[in-house]
Amino acid sequence: MTLTLDQSEPGQTTRTPKAKPRGGALDPFFEALCAASATMLLAALCGVLISRTIGGWPAFHKFGLKFFTVSSWNPVTEVYGAAGPIVGTLITSFLALLISLPVAFGVAVFLVEFCPSFLRRTIGTAVELLAGIPSIVYGMWGLFVLAPWFALHVQLPLLLAAKPGSLLEKLTTGIPNGANILTASIILAIMILPFMAAVLRDLLMTIPSQVRESAYGLGGNTVEVILSVSLPYIKRSAVGAIMLGLGRALGETMAVTFIIGNSHAFPKNLFDSGSTIASTIANEFNEATTEMHTSSLIALGLVLFMITFAVLAIARALLGRPKVA
Amino acid sequence: MNVQATAETYESYVEQIQGPAKIDIKKLDFFYGKNKALHGLTTGFAEKKITALIGPSGCGKSTLLRTMNRIYGLYPGQRAEGEIMFDGRNILGPNEDLAALRARIGMVFQKPTPFPMSIYDNVAYGVRLYERLGRQDMDARVEESLRRAALWDEVKDKLHTSGLGLSGGQQQRLCVARGVAVRPEVLLLDEPASALDPISTAKLEETLIELKQDHTIVIVTHNLGQAARISDYTGFMYLGRLIEFTTTEQLFTNPRGKRTQDYVTGRFG
Repeated sequence: MTLTLDQSEPGQTTRTPKAKPRGGALDPFFEALCAASATMLLAALCGVLISRTIGGWPAFHKFGLKFFTVSSWNPVTEVYGAAGPIVGTLITSFLALLISLPVAFGVAVFLVEFCPSFLRRTIGTAVELLAGIPSIVYGMWGLFVLAPWFALHVQLPLLLAAKPGSLLEKLTTGIPNGANILTASIILAIMILPFMAAVLRDLLMTIPSQVRESAYGLGGNTVEVILSVSLPYIKRSAVGAIMLGLGRALGETMAVTFIIGNSHAFPKNLFDSGSTIASTIANEFNEATTEMHTSSLIALGLVLFMITFAVLAIARALLGRPKVA
Repeated sequence: MNVQATAETYESYVEQIQGPAKIDIKKLDFFYGKNKALHGLTTGFAEKKITALIGPSGCGKSTLLRTMNRIYGLYPGQRAEGEIMFDGRNILGPNEDLAALRARIGMVFQKPTPFPMSIYDNVAYGVRLYERLGRQDMDARVEESLRRAALWDEVKDKLHTSGLGLSGGQQQRLCVARGVAVRPEVLLLDEPASALDPISTAKLEETLIELKQDHTIVIVTHNLGQAARISDYTGFMYLGRLIEFTTTEQLFTNPRGKRTQDYVTGRFG
């Protein structure tokens, strides 16, 4: 180690040995410290994975694949099938993405292309503040404001308008209390919106001004430039950003627990109560008394871990590669 | 030719061009917010000729170029006052259709700016905005444009690979091809060769001389040799003013202004 150092810096040879760079003796220690920190992180990750697998093993062992396909979650009969929460998680997250993506995109494009400069800061800051609101606040707002409003002004009129047996009835049956898959998705959409808008805005700002000017210089109008030049330019990174948003939506707990209705049944339609993996764990872990119940919840946690991990891994892969196709 | 010595402190030797002017500029002022970058510029750009704009950095060459297709309008706070007559109409007017204007007055930038798409689509991009061409016609247009930019032979076998995979010089010629593909009447070039190696530069210069047959060209350059080689008229700018404007031959061999003299002989810059 010292040898290599001396060789690489011939200028040092004229000095006395005493004049070695100060702190040089600490270098190996420092290196080890950093390595230890990094290892600890990796170990924590593996630890979570292993302990979850061990904890969830009884459930996996007992129910096998049925754990994923059966939608009966019954602590009394000790039958745990997680199809309801798993599907609930996926549906609410994707729905949230579907709702918030166009809006986030609109916000980002407005901020970059159209916004007068004095407003740009204000709106930009507002977007970032929105991202900082704790999820429990969103949850309370959802439960006390959004849900009653939704029940009264959307759910009830639709229910009353639906003829028995009609398609509309099938789509809208459910207790009109506003606590359902759709309102949970809306809350999730609002929660991931600021994050996605901020990332998309940052991505749009990475486009070199000369590229935009070239596109405008050829006679493109704003829509054409955005669709055919700006978007392709950030395509890959944008997909990564969207996946990160999805990752957040998948794991979001409190707000969803408040408003999704917490029913373990397989949701029949968007106005039906449901549950997500995170909300199920939050609701029941305190009350789980039997080993199988606990084990099933841990197994559920492992499933969420895997889903989120996969989504984030894809996002990372997409974000990491060069910006352009 | 009438020589006017105008302005109080700045002597100015701006000559009229011979023949018709494609773009006629009268008393043009330009502002970046509160900073005035152009001071009452008056000049003309001759049709189907190459006009070079030279001068030290920050003298307003690029700014002048950017007023002519109003690309500055993308940025709040930048504005131009005065008159830029293009085919008899003042393009600084409020009702100007900017997209249509920019289709007629094309621009090539200092750095190559290929779009993130195939070589073919890069060239076809601007054409598709304004014309509906059949496949064959479009193929022909793309080939013609690439040939005119002296790039065809190098890319004809990989038209559908990404334009970003080309070398810097090739990318710049791709941008020229993209610019001429829409058949603009005027082509504005902002130091198009500054990032190119000598061979690419030579090719680009040949291209520009060929393009002169159909296009009015205005080129900003720091390379005096380049201005002398390819341009018919040259304007020397300094501190936001047009100090001298005359035929290239005259400006380089017998400049009237002291400053112009110093600049073209390399004594200041």
